[in-house]
Amino acid sequence: MAAEPHSIPHRVTGWVQQRIEAVGAALLAGSAAVRELWLVYIATWAGVARRASRRRVPQGRQGRPGQARGAIVHQLYWIGNRSIVFIAVTLGFLGMVMAYEACLQLSRVTGDFSQVGSQLLRLDVSDFAPTLTALMLATRVGAGIAAEIGSMKVTEQIDALRMSGVLPIDYLIVPRFIASLIMTLALTVLGGVVMYAAGGLTAKYSFGVNPHVFFDASMVRGRHVALLIVKAAAYGAAIPVVAGFCGLRARGSSEGVGWATTAAVIGGSFAVLVLDFLLSAAALVVFGGDL
Amino acid sequence: MTAPRDGFIAGIGASAVAVAQEVGGIVLLTAAVARALVPPRIDGRELWKSLYKMGNRSVPIVVLTALFAGGLMTLQAGPFVKKFGATALAGWGAGYAVLRELGPILIGLMFSGRVGANNTAELSTMTVTEQLDGLRALAIDPVQFLVVPRVIAMMTTLVALTAIGDLVALIGAAIVGRVMLGIEWSTMYHGFVDNLRPFDFLHGIYKAIAFGGAIAVSSCYFGVTVRGGAVGVGRAVNHAVVAAAISILLLDFFLTYLTG
Repeated sequence: MAAEPHSIPHRVTGWVQQRIEAVGAALLAGSAAVRELWLVYIATWAGVARRASRRRVPQGRQGRPGQARGAIVHQLYWIGNRSIVFIAVTLGFLGMVMAYEACLQLSRVTGDFSQVGSQLLRLDVSDFAPTLTALMLATRVGAGIAAEIGSMKVTEQIDALRMSGVLPIDYLIVPRFIASLIMTLALTVLGGVVMYAAGGLTAKYSFGVNPHVFFDASMVRGRHVALLIVKAAAYGAAIPVVAGFCGLRARGSSEGVGWATTAAVIGGSFAVLVLDFLLSAAALVVFGGDL
Repeated sequence: MTAPRDGFIAGIGASAVAVAQEVGGIVLLTAAVARALVPPRIDGRELWKSLYKMGNRSVPIVVLTALFAGGLMTLQAGPFVKKFGATALAGWGAGYAVLRELGPILIGLMFSGRVGANNTAELSTMTVTEQLDGLRALAIDPVQFLVVPRVIAMMTTLVALTAIGDLVALIGAAIVGRVMLGIEWSTMYHGFVDNLRPFDFLHGIYKAIAFGGAIAVSSCYFGVTVRGGAVGVGRAVNHAVVAAAISILLLDFFLTYLTG
């Protein structure tokens, strides 16, 4: 503030200070949000553990507060079955585009299509199928969860849950978390199959690639499948936690719900990209050129 | 939107009708926007405000997304580089994928999440609090006053953001190539410059124009047609991002296919 007010016009220093303050405030808010998000994640695992241990009580005290009956099945249906068409359509088109671009490049350079199918399958399994499916789910499922929990928050239903001695995370996030873990993997497999099949059809009808040459799994190793499972699990865990966190932070009225939904889509997509980057980099370090 | 429980076929029919209604509504809104543009009377202040809010405020998220997208594409080329020492290939593959497909798609999806969803939330809040009816009572056309500036602003800003994002993604690809794979900066630079043509960049840019239009019209449609209070707003935002994601991928395929 006192940095030579005579040599630099005061307006400029004020402006610079404002900018620096804005960046600092954004960083502080960001780190606080990440810390809270981490706490919600831990609390979710704790809720999963509580749920699992409660099941072992022989009398089967189901239906007690904090454990809605059939909540997981309902969420499995809502997250999984209701997303099938969406995932199939979007990943189908992505697969067509990717096969088209790959063949187009090859036709410009070598014109040798014998490797394109097996390499695409390797990329699909180790990266594109889980990541693109999760990006789509972050949009659809993440926005849905945040909208639902956010509207419960602004209509004070979350407070009502707390009043009745129910932990909102156990009651709302844990069923979605478990359902998302299962269904992200299932939808990844579905999306990958649709994507590869659509790519094969495109390669056949646009570039005349023989399907026998295209559908070739010789490049896929066990480590690629392991990478698919790890990635799908990581994304499946991240999406509902981020979305639930955004929903629980909703404030105000309808505008707050809108904000929460927006934040869930951005946060979920970004979490998927960051996790993909970390996991791909780790796999490259571990396996090196054999990946 | 929930399908009736009494039959599988009936459920399919109901969702087909719902989808047709939404597509029809979006097309009608597009026509209304086009008609409002014929003598171009655009509210300058609203346009300026939207440009700032949608463009400048989205730069951080676009830059972060693009950095990761570029880095990811280099990582995918990593095994080839390590196995065959094909360092020139990394720049070619990463640059090509980023400029033509991944850059516009990822930036479009992020833009749809940040700007499109926000726009739906804002417009739908205005709708449920009857502010649109207020505008109509003052003889102000909501499409002209609210929708048209947003559509123009989104198309403009998405093109600008894609151009910025492409550059950042190439930088991200070069950084990851240097750090993870030990590719020299100059090798990466020549990989980009020798193999990528201006048309590859333009391919991404005109995709961005189409994506911007699709995101804008669908987000405005779901904002204007919302019903019910806070629950309705949440659902409208949800529908808007889903519709934007589907239309981005559909348009991407057709634009790639038609223009090569």
